[in-house]
Amino acid sequence: MSTSTSAVHAHKAEIFCKDESRVDWHSKALWMLREKRDRAAGSLPEWEQLRQIGSEMKLHTLTHLSQYLEEFDKNCLNNNIQVHWAKDGAEHNRIVHSILAKHEVKKLVKSKSMLTEECHMNPYLEERGIEVIDTDLGERIIQLAGQPPSHIVVPAIHLKKEEVGDLFHDKLGTDAGASDPLYLTRAARAHLREQFLSADAAMTGVNMAIADKGAVVVCTNEGNADMGANLPKLQLHSMGIDKIVPNIDSAAVLLRTLARNATGQPITTYSSFYRGPQDGGEMHVIIVDNGRTDMLKDKILAESLKCIRCGGCLNTCPVYRRSGGYSYNYTIPGPIGIAVGAKNDDTNSIPWACTLCGSCSYVCPTKVPLDKIIHHHRRLKAEAGKLPYGKASYMPLVGKFMASETALNCSMSVARTALKILPGSLLKPFSGAWGKYRELPVAPNSSFEAWFKKNRG
Amino acid sequence: MKIALFIPCLVNQMVPEVGIATLELLEKLGHQVILPQGQTCCGQPMTNSGCYNEAKKTTMKLLNAFKGVECDAIVCPAASCLVAAKENFHEFDTSPEAQAVIDKLYELTEFLHDVSPIPAFTKPFPHKISLQMSCHGIRMLDLATPSEQMGPRMNKFEAVLAAIPEIEIVYPDRRDECCGFGGTFALDEGAVSAKMGKDKAQAHAETGAAYAVGFDPSCLLHIDGMVRRQKLPIETRHIAQIINAAL
Amino acid sequence: MSSKLEILNALKSAAIAPQAMPVIDIAPRIDDLVGQFETSLNTVAGTLHREGGLAKLQAQVDEHIAQGMQIISMVDGITGNREVTNTAHQLRDIDYAVIPGDLGVAENGAIWVNNKNLGHRVTPFICENLFLVLEAKTIVANMHQAASRITLDSGEFGTFIAGPSKTADIEQALVVGAHGACSLNVYLV
Repeated sequence: MSTSTSAVHAHKAEIFCKDESRVDWHSKALWMLREKRDRAAGSLPEWEQLRQIGSEMKLHTLTHLSQYLEEFDKNCLNNNIQVHWAKDGAEHNRIVHSILAKHEVKKLVKSKSMLTEECHMNPYLEERGIEVIDTDLGERIIQLAGQPPSHIVVPAIHLKKEEVGDLFHDKLGTDAGASDPLYLTRAARAHLREQFLSADAAMTGVNMAIADKGAVVVCTNEGNADMGANLPKLQLHSMGIDKIVPNIDSAAVLLRTLARNATGQPITTYSSFYRGPQDGGEMHVIIVDNGRTDMLKDKILAESLKCIRCGGCLNTCPVYRRSGGYSYNYTIPGPIGIAVGAKNDDTNSIPWACTLCGSCSYVCPTKVPLDKIIHHHRRLKAEAGKLPYGKASYMPLVGKFMASETALNCSMSVARTALKILPGSLLKPFSGAWGKYRELPVAPNSSFEAWFKKNRG
Repeated sequence: MKIALFIPCLVNQMVPEVGIATLELLEKLGHQVILPQGQTCCGQPMTNSGCYNEAKKTTMKLLNAFKGVECDAIVCPAASCLVAAKENFHEFDTSPEAQAVIDKLYELTEFLHDVSPIPAFTKPFPHKISLQMSCHGIRMLDLATPSEQMGPRMNKFEAVLAAIPEIEIVYPDRRDECCGFGGTFALDEGAVSAKMGKDKAQAHAETGAAYAVGFDPSCLLHIDGMVRRQKLPIETRHIAQIINAAL
Repeated sequence: MSSKLEILNALKSAAIAPQAMPVIDIAPRIDDLVGQFETSLNTVAGTLHREGGLAKLQAQVDEHIAQGMQIISMVDGITGNREVTNTAHQLRDIDYAVIPGDLGVAENGAIWVNNKNLGHRVTPFICENLFLVLEAKTIVANMHQAASRITLDSGEFGTFIAGPSKTADIEQALVVGAHGACSLNVYLV
């Protein structure tokens, strides 16, 4: 499975689609999450109200971001939390490394953070002699397999239990051929307990940062963030500037929708609020921009920052489910991955990995207008002269052709005739992508316009 | 009412029977129906790919074909084209004349539900049909509450068809999941588009319905291509054809 | 210029006009809070003991002690066989921890726990199994009500715990007992 090299989405997707039973398995596993989400959302009469409030609250925060960031910064200081600011991923990594180096950290246990994936922090620290242990089970699986996450909430969703069994046999010494999820999870528990107990520092992502308290909220089901942050004396939390919320009341709104929309649970098992380090400990928060202030300069792209990373848009996306998480040339796949990653996609194909069906926008717990954002990316690419799939050369021709009703009528009548008289075997090669997968349309005798002239003219 | 037909290029060239059924059913309902000349493409293939410059000429030609036409409503038997026309007209022309055209635009199902409901059907349609809930009609034209949305449900598509005597209405599994047509997506992303279409065609066939019925001819064309490639025992029909047969 | 100033400066060119903070005004579901709480707790794989209170819990604790289990209690009136350790790491062999919850949430089965009552912060996570003691009268309807009642003073740690730790990272198969406690029993008093 190609994971690192850039290629147009359609190419990677075509490779993924070659194993149809695996596509069906992948699509079904994710659709199950969508169904669980529907049941959880449907159990709350106020669901749509929560989406609306979530959206407005995030927009309010994003449009008062400097005020809330400064408030957060000041309050953290009062709580004995050290705050660092990083313009980009490189600066984030340098800051993290300098903190770890100062404390002579050899082993860092980490709970899930899409931001550190975005900054490519693990390899940076590993090159500098620090062992980084991902502790979320899914993250640990793909770390052992040497792969990036294929989903932002269930990062190992692309692997079958037999594959995890083989991997654990190889890396953790579990029984050969064992693939029972309970057995494998218990083996990982034992393995990771030792890591937690021997770590020198812990790092987590941040689900919400509460401005008026100077606290960060971290949500997990496994308890790995809290096992990490509460054992060693040094805890670090990395957050994008978009994670700020004004107060605990705002956080509560998102805590009601986050897990319901992600997995159908009423709340994650642990929703932990850190408002200062443990006794004798040190707590650092690294606030990262890395392109976010740029996004805020575009009215449409700005709304991507309302995202709370529940993964609901991936689960519902018919294209993601059938093309896999590695086809998007970005750490974050699916609709939200297109929204925040398309700008840097050098194949320029990612905004077209979408039918604009709009399901994601309706699923989203903070009403990120994902289909509108993806469409906007297409327009930005077109305006920058960066169109994929030969569109730059054929679109002007199509535009000209479509604008002429005479040409449209004449050429289409030729096409209709061709459809009628030529045998399928001869036509299919000429009809390209359509005929490769589908039967060609049954050709009508005349256009509607001709019929109308004859019968009503 | 006096109705101007907006017949998208795809309907005009590839499925004229949908245009004919639309015309006939509206006439049977007592409307006067005209076909303004000079209709071109709504520009969707271009604007969906972000190519607004390339879309402008054809969009404006289509808009001009309707400007000043005396009618009470402009009705289109294709939801996706209708949505694109509305958006693109607005994008390229903010004049009151353009707004007057936009205000009269209706998709056929929408028109039959909101504006001019069918008083009574005269013939039964004794078949099981599986409804094709195409995305743009559902999520951009509010023809039905999308499955993602919670709370009170509404479904204009089913409401219009359910009044036909002896009709049986069912839905495919994952009822409003996209069929994978997506305009140029069908060509750019052939493998995924085809897999989505195959899944959708199979889901319709698995209901045991005789027809998969939709309001978007482009989706139906794609599903029809998949149905015949898979040799599935179901056929596609446009809502206009079903209604016309029951009047 | 510091990165902080650069980021704050860049925010001045944000494109969207300031939006107002919405009013969070959601009607709580207030019928049978304990019943709702129990249903929710079951959904998240926890167990509620409505009757019997501390006496029932102490009997359970005594039974486990008799079986040689290591039990630490942070609840007045419940006696275990282990004291608060010098370091957090020394809690590694704890089989059961007994801790007090400040508040329960009916809509999701979550219980707010504040580090004042934990000894070491890691106590509810590192133990193999967890007993939580909760006053029935502290159960609120939803997270909005919980948000206005929880305490989190400067320097503190607090967490909503909803059931035992769990994962479904291998083929979506739910496994209870990931890194934190493998079971959660809540005793209502």
